[in-house]
Amino acid sequence: MSNLIAIFLSLAIINNFIVSKFLGLCPFFGVSKKLGNAVSMGVAVTLVMLIASLATWIINHYILIPFGVEYMNIIMYILVIASLVQMIELFIKRTNLTLYNALGIYLPLITTNCAVLGITLINAQESYSLIESMVAALGGGIGFTLVLIIMSGIREKLEIADTPRSMKGLPVAMLVGMLLGLTFFGFGGIV
Amino acid sequence: MGKFWKEFAKGIVISNPLFVLALGFCPALAVSTSVDNAIGMSAGVLFVLLGSNLLVSAIRKAVPNIVRIPVFIVIIATFVTVVNLVFHAYVPALYESLGIYLPLIVVNCIILGRAEAFASKNPITSSIADALGVSIGFFLALLIISFLRETLGTGSLSVFGAKLFTLPVLGKDPMILFILPPGAFLIMALLLALFRKIGVMKCE
Amino acid sequence: MKLKALKGVFPIIFITVIVFASVGLITWTDSVTADKIEYQKEQEIKSMLREMFPSMSQYTFEDDIYTIYTDGVEVGYAFLAVGKGYGGDIDILVGLEDETTIKAVTIISQSETPGLGSRIAESSFAAEFTGVNIDDVSLKQDGGQVDAITGATISSRAVIEAVRTTAMEKVKSLKERK
Repeated sequence: MSNLIAIFLSLAIINNFIVSKFLGLCPFFGVSKKLGNAVSMGVAVTLVMLIASLATWIINHYILIPFGVEYMNIIMYILVIASLVQMIELFIKRTNLTLYNALGIYLPLITTNCAVLGITLINAQESYSLIESMVAALGGGIGFTLVLIIMSGIREKLEIADTPRSMKGLPVAMLVGMLLGLTFFGFGGIV
Repeated sequence: MGKFWKEFAKGIVISNPLFVLALGFCPALAVSTSVDNAIGMSAGVLFVLLGSNLLVSAIRKAVPNIVRIPVFIVIIATFVTVVNLVFHAYVPALYESLGIYLPLIVVNCIILGRAEAFASKNPITSSIADALGVSIGFFLALLIISFLRETLGTGSLSVFGAKLFTLPVLGKDPMILFILPPGAFLIMALLLALFRKIGVMKCE
Repeated sequence: MKLKALKGVFPIIFITVIVFASVGLITWTDSVTADKIEYQKEQEIKSMLREMFPSMSQYTFEDDIYTIYTDGVEVGYAFLAVGKGYGGDIDILVGLEDETTIKAVTIISQSETPGLGSRIAESSFAAEFTGVNIDDVSLKQDGGQVDAITGATISSRAVIEAVRTTAMEKVKSLKERK
């Protein structure tokens, strides 16, 4: 149990996907000021990470390892993720059109989100069990969502702040990333 | 022939993937802790981009529209897997150092972006030029970032085992921040602002 | 009629061909590189063991324990241990002189804080373990014989814990073997 907590806290905060591992940066820089969108994006990515972790674990343990073809993992993982995102996109389109429109281009972009492929690769690299993989995905996703939420709040203030012209937009967002990273770094002693 | 060099040069400055197009940060920031990693990662990106641009351009007239994206993804994933295996076998230290960021080239927006935006619409020679230019642009950008991070963060610079130099003050007491993740954000922010200031890039 | 059916099926044929070509290329690459990868791994272990036991002439590997021989005489044991460090797993190679004393400790890989925890990879820290009795492998402040690295207690402790617990485990299975 303490092992699971360690994995969760490590991926959520100490080795946070965005500010520490640099996974999932595209949505981080593109996140709007609206808290609602940040939450939706975070939840969507977390969901994809969870299902992708489950699917890839099954593929790993019942197909790749028994047949000794672990080197096929990259191609299988990305195809699974692409199909998954496609299905989720259709699902959201049918059930909640407003959400679908709000997420816009960012929804299909979850396929190329480093965080999703990243968690599947991490699970494989650390040889996590099924439970550990799911906890890792949950931790990573929640950490990702957390940073997105914080960023959306800060973005609001940044819009009206007097930023130097060359720093406006991406550079200052990077500085925020740095500060968040330093803050999260301080949690290193918990586990 | 002039067209070849035009496309090539575009990738280095005007369409520089990191500083201008703002694509492909994930692996870039993560591996910029040392110049060795930067060189290795760029080599990987070069091979994958070259291979995928070439193949996508070659089959661009035959690919049915519906399966376009999945086909591109399969092609890119194949080249990434090949690079992964080759690195593991022939440069194991680099392979360990790059970790998961080598396979993550597959979702690097640069590769899919070039395939979709350029290679699928242009002849083979232009696509090759584009791949070379963008890769070199990526390499130069990554080189600057990792050079700064390594020298400021460790006080010295080593390329493939050969120690090039050690800085006088920083050599004993380097600014560790730069070698840590937040340092990457800092260097990147400052470089982006610098390039915008001197006019290489457009401000927002 | 025939042409229309072909048009509909063509995308599927196309992508199937691409997938097969890809799988073929990857499988071929694997067959070419797999041996090299295995060889690299072996060479790495061999060179680490040789550094620890300079007189080694051969070694055997059973139940996760390496037994080192010099011209047919058993001179020691070695095994891998994993410590839970600040920044992730710390891979350690532990060498035993006999069933009670540590011969040497080598940090294979770690991702601790540069400049602080990463100093566990320095030879001065590894030297702390040489000749120490397995039971005494703990921090000086905990009654043991090993000095922690200043400012890197967590990383030091991770290595110490891993070395001691794994050593005890392996010694137990060595005794059971006999």
